Amino acid sequence: MAATRPRVHADGLAEAIGLGPDELAMRKRFLEFDDSDVQRLAEIYDLTQEHVDQVIEGFYDHLLSFPETAAFFRDPPLLEHVKGRQKEYFIRLTQGDYEQEYVADRLRLGSIHEKIGLPVRSFLGMYAFYLRQIAGLLLKEHSEDPDQAFETFHSLAKLLFFDIGLAVDIYIYQRERTIALQQEAIRELSTPVLTVRDRLLVLPIIGSLDTSRAQQLTEGLLKSIRDSRAKVVILDVTGVPAVDSAVANHLLQTVEASRLMGAQVIVTGLSSNVAQALVTLGVDLTKLNAVGDLQGGIEFAERIMGYRVVANGDGLPEVVDAGSDPEAG
Amino acid sequence: MPVPILKQGDCRIASIQSALTDADMLDLRDELSDRVGRFRSKGVIIDVTVLDVLDSFASRTLRTISQMVRLRGAETVIVGIQPEVAFSMVQLGLSLDGVTTVLDLEEGLVHLERSRRARAARAGG
Repeated sequence: MAATRPRVHADGLAEAIGLGPDELAMRKRFLEFDDSDVQRLAEIYDLTQEHVDQVIEGFYDHLLSFPETAAFFRDPPLLEHVKGRQKEYFIRLTQGDYEQEYVADRLRLGSIHEKIGLPVRSFLGMYAFYLRQIAGLLLKEHSEDPDQAFETFHSLAKLLFFDIGLAVDIYIYQRERTIALQQEAIRELSTPVLTVRDRLLVLPIIGSLDTSRAQQLTEGLLKSIRDSRAKVVILDVTGVPAVDSAVANHLLQTVEASRLMGAQVIVTGLSSNVAQALVTLGVDLTKLNAVGDLQGGIEFAERIMGYRVVANGDGLPEVVDAGSDPEAG
Repeated sequence: MPVPILKQGDCRIASIQSALTDADMLDLRDELSDRVGRFRSKGVIIDVTVLDVLDSFASRTLRTISQMVRLRGAETVIVGIQPEVAFSMVQLGLSLDGVTTVLDLEEGLVHLERSRRARAARAGG
């Protein structure tokens, strides 16, 4: 499903999640990330430049040693490409200016990882790996002054947590978008209103009903009643596995609302489970016009509407003489 | 704004033109009940097509009209309830029990005509 999700342009991501300048400033305040941190990070720029290759190689060796993450980096050209990106990422940590452009870049990176389906835990594990590596580097660099190493490490941790916040946001945002799109698709699929005869509608309901779907179904049905001037509506619930009291009440509301619009509702296909549930729930069913199955429902509806269906002769299919068919010649 | 009441055969058609106040509703009730007796009408149609809301007072008054008209010897049909209105009515529990409702004016006339024939058949038999 992720593949069919329409793309939000990467530059629009920050906007879509609501990450304006105010929000970013607030997040930094919350993490107590200030100019002194930026300063400290700038001081280790040379250090990161120097060790970037070693850190990134170690990073991917680490990833490749776990089957779960190795699966994402099997392809050698791809691996080279992502290594390049990670190096940029790593160096970018100490380059200052952690504003809109930085955020957009981080979101793009998170979005790519979400898209290939990398689990969040692995993604977070990557940050932990960076922290471990840099802690080691800093201690070695400032072996005579551990306090300074610790301060710098703190600044980096703040920035990485800022990044993690962005990454988690983008993961959640993308997933939620997928869910919303799927729900939309289900809604579109789920409520067909079929005309079987003039002014006779059939509404086959498949799958479980929840409040929002039941509501949508009722609205759709009422509009169809008006548009097709329906007299009788058959609500076929053969495909509904279970009902609870909310859904039962919705069914009754649908029946009542249809009556207000002058259409009679016949409910068909109540399975024994559903029937038992309805009786046990103690819903007032006197207004519910139920017929065993769809066939019975259609026959009943035809009787109400004054149709009489007569079998043609002996019940054998009619023989069409091909020679007399003008279209066949 | 008073509701115009039209005559069509032995039916009276109250065609609501705009949203009604409670007082308008009560006037409509009295006027219809009066005319049914005075002109010996057999059917009353109340057309609510233009209303985009039917609150509890309006629903109750429609039911009262229906019952009063029945006691005066005629039948009432409410026509033209819109989908949104029907939906919000059932959600509010206003179901107009015991009141005949049909899709539109045409259906209302068909319904009254059918009732008239049924009465005639009973009287004849």
